[in-house]
Amino acid sequence: MSDVIVIGAGLAGLMAAYYAARAGERVKIVAKGLGATHWHAGTVDVLGYYPTAATPVARPLDTLRDLTRAQPQHPYALADGALDRALQDFVTLMQEVGLPYAGATSTGDNLWLPSPLGVARPTFLAPRAQRAGDLSRPEPMLIVGFQGWRDFYPTLIAENLNKQGHRARAELLPLDLISARRDVNTVQLATALDDPARVESLAAALRKVVQPGERIGLPAILGLDAHVTTLERLETQVGAPIFEIPTLPPSVPGIRLTNALRNRLRQLGVRIEINADVIGFRAEGDRVMWIESEASGRPLKHRAEKFILATGGILGGGINSDHTGKVWEVIFNLPLVAPANRGQWFRAHFFDPEGHPIFRAGVAVDREFQPIDARGARVFTNVWAVGNVLAHCDPVRERSLEGIALATARCALTIDH
Amino acid sequence: MKRIETDILVIGGGATGTGVAWDAALRGFRVVLVEKRDLTHGTTGRYHGLLHSGGRYVVKDPHSAAECIAENRILRKTHAHCIEDTGGFFVVTPEDDNDYPDRFHAACQRLGIPCEEISVAEALKREPLLNPRARRVFVVPDAAADSFQATHSTAQAARHAGARILTYHEVVQLIAEGSDGARRVVGARVRDVARGEDVEIRAAMTINAAGAWAGQIARTIGVRVDVIPGKGTMIAVNHRIINTVLNRCKMPADGDIIVPIHTVSVLGTTDVHVQDPEHLTIEPWEVELLLREGEQLIPGVRRARFVRAWAGVRPLYQEHYSGATRDVTRDFTLLDHHTRDGVAGFLTIIGGKWTTFRLMAQVTMDKACEYLGTCKPCLTATTPVPGAEHGHYWLGHRLREVEEHHLQNELVCECELVTRTMLENAARNNPTLTLDDLRRDVRLGMGPCQGGFCTYRAVGILHELKDEGRKTNDEGETWEVATMQSPAHNQRSAISGQRSPLAISPFTNSNLLLRDFLQERWKGLLPILWGQQLKQERLDELIYLALMNADHLPDKDARSPMSDFYARPGVVTTADHRPSVGIEEARDE
Repeated sequence: MSDVIVIGAGLAGLMAAYYAARAGERVKIVAKGLGATHWHAGTVDVLGYYPTAATPVARPLDTLRDLTRAQPQHPYALADGALDRALQDFVTLMQEVGLPYAGATSTGDNLWLPSPLGVARPTFLAPRAQRAGDLSRPEPMLIVGFQGWRDFYPTLIAENLNKQGHRARAELLPLDLISARRDVNTVQLATALDDPARVESLAAALRKVVQPGERIGLPAILGLDAHVTTLERLETQVGAPIFEIPTLPPSVPGIRLTNALRNRLRQLGVRIEINADVIGFRAEGDRVMWIESEASGRPLKHRAEKFILATGGILGGGINSDHTGKVWEVIFNLPLVAPANRGQWFRAHFFDPEGHPIFRAGVAVDREFQPIDARGARVFTNVWAVGNVLAHCDPVRERSLEGIALATARCALTIDH
Repeated sequence: MKRIETDILVIGGGATGTGVAWDAALRGFRVVLVEKRDLTHGTTGRYHGLLHSGGRYVVKDPHSAAECIAENRILRKTHAHCIEDTGGFFVVTPEDDNDYPDRFHAACQRLGIPCEEISVAEALKREPLLNPRARRVFVVPDAAADSFQATHSTAQAARHAGARILTYHEVVQLIAEGSDGARRVVGARVRDVARGEDVEIRAAMTINAAGAWAGQIARTIGVRVDVIPGKGTMIAVNHRIINTVLNRCKMPADGDIIVPIHTVSVLGTTDVHVQDPEHLTIEPWEVELLLREGEQLIPGVRRARFVRAWAGVRPLYQEHYSGATRDVTRDFTLLDHHTRDGVAGFLTIIGGKWTTFRLMAQVTMDKACEYLGTCKPCLTATTPVPGAEHGHYWLGHRLREVEEHHLQNELVCECELVTRTMLENAARNNPTLTLDDLRRDVRLGMGPCQGGFCTYRAVGILHELKDEGRKTNDEGETWEVATMQSPAHNQRSAISGQRSPLAISPFTNSNLLLRDFLQERWKGLLPILWGQQLKQERLDELIYLALMNADHLPDKDARSPMSDFYARPGVVTTADHRPSVGIEEARDE
């Protein structure tokens, strides 16, 4: 028996579990998979564009005041003030676990970092390994990739950086400096770079191509378990600032973040069950008694006093849909806010700055982050919902994915922090 | 203005046009083919991929059926590598008429179409997802045909015989000389879309094989050709739910066929009369109809994951058109504008089916020979195109080669097993203006992620090739279409030292390539985007928006000749007319 069960192990679920455990609750995480953290950049995006993707945001916390007025049902508006403290909590926590995050030099500004296409992308907090990519810094960049490797293209990145007024050039090094495997992805390369000998050969190759005054951008594969020492070792041996640029998934920075949080949660006594697909639940009156996960033999019951839904939206699998235009929440079949029919789901252009209405579908909650129905009444007295499963926002279009996860995770359970 | 002299000018780079160019070149004529976009961009590349046995038309249109079985036998030899020998079933479902099957069987026997009735139990053993309530099942020699590869191979054969194939060359105006009653077409003024230049092509005979666009071509000299564009919509299941072509055993109607082709299974089709052959927007009812009818053949198919919807426009033709397009003949027509309209030097070949393209080309060139005063025999029925020596393809051929040759690190598109070198060679050897052109060459982006991972990789790889030197899109001379499809034939070591330059048009911009392709893929997803595919699409959004910030790439104003085409809506949607905050009122009931 747990006090709290968190369903979902993305950033929102892990942080909700952290807050609950810190408040002294016995917490268990039950999750089907590992969440969108493994697909994104490993940064904390708070608000990159508002009111549409056509308008960049310079200072997200300031702009949030406009957003709160214009969209009172937006999770940020409901979380009223929690974001600021949640970001501070996160910075402190990541310092403790040895994977420090920081924002722009000028506090409160968005940080602009090179994307895998070489486009300046707005974020608010970045891990130490990405900080030297800050595009407000003047040093020219040397973008380094590996010949024949399918997930990173330095010539393209450098060309686009130059087109945006940031000086950059590209070099391709042999891939077998890092790995001789016949099938490598980001994670295998990162694991290979946990080995100091590999770091040394990479450093030697970099010393040959770097010019004085340059900083070096590499794909985000600089070590996994030994990342911090790998990065320091490489910078020392090369003698130039080094930064990582995120890659196509799987995201090594995202995996580092997940692993660091999971380790911390284990220290706090949180049980984490991954590969546990929740297939049923039991409610009595307005209380959820237990959930069931799929297992060999018969379904496994998980009982708790309180449940936090952190399953993600359409992206994370917390919301499903079918050809009739039906959209549903997959665990508790909670009422959803969604476009009335399929004809209203999409716009004609993939890049429409307004975003596609279906991706704003989600669970509506009250100011305590408890799911409500169409009349505004609470559905269950002991269920909270956090993160990307929430309605009235499009975190991908807004570039607010992690910010919403952190702010809303802090609001769950109505804990007095 | 640049001028080209030739014997035969062919207009249209679909199956028919390339077939005519191949036929004419084999007969020894000088040939130039012009196509306004990429080869197969029109109807040829937008059909379900059925090589007809003739069974479908055997009761309704025996003449067509007889042509189909004869051509089926020929194409299995001349284009062997473009065909997967799936065989086909004609299935009598509980919904279907009881008398039709016997008429069907008798008519097949009369026309010599091999047709064997098997027990439902045997049919279920071969196709376990088939409706177990089926009452009768007949086996016929239907097959799956890769119309991209077949058309490219035909074009390659034509080139080997001396033809020039000019893609992205659009006819502006046919050139007619003489006055009423004694007019003669002497060629065409065409626009080189990539360079933005006009070219004058002078020819002894001009052949209009523009399919659904044939009426527009003829109209430039005031000749009326009534094409009836019949839009057909198809949807693809993400994998092979069947390995045999499934037809309903009844008079042809909407939604009565499922074709297993490459990695997917295609449900088809609808038939809607449209005014404009460029009108490819899909109506939601068409998808609903395909799902409903598909249930008769494969119960539960509506719960499958769909990866794509598209529409093609049938070039149906009837001199005296009236009513629904399904009743218009599937036979083809050769219009001799000399006898019909008093315009010499000009033929229009219209109608027909992919399966009969070779025959259509033969009939056309026989007529052209009469006018040109030569009687060179047609050789296409007995001349295999390059690649046919490899024999029929099968579903596993790419996987086997990737594993045998350890090419896992080379995979750019993991869904369709496209290797980096396949992509590079296609880009070097084929005229390429967009990633969609490369998609037709090597199947880039055609799998479940619909370009989610491979769009970025393809753009990055082409960018790395950029400085190798380029040539423009009408000078690619070294196609090897069959080997282009094969991971094993595209290995780094095998090609080093003798690379031909990149055939990308000089203005091509990486950011534009990426934007165009993402929009092109999005367009074809909209009609079937729900469930798991919607989740996939949200991942693609995460990658291209949140991670890459591709909606803020430089070169915002750059456009390709295809950008506007991709921007047209793929499905009827109302979301564009509603403010996004509007969803707040539309609560789920």
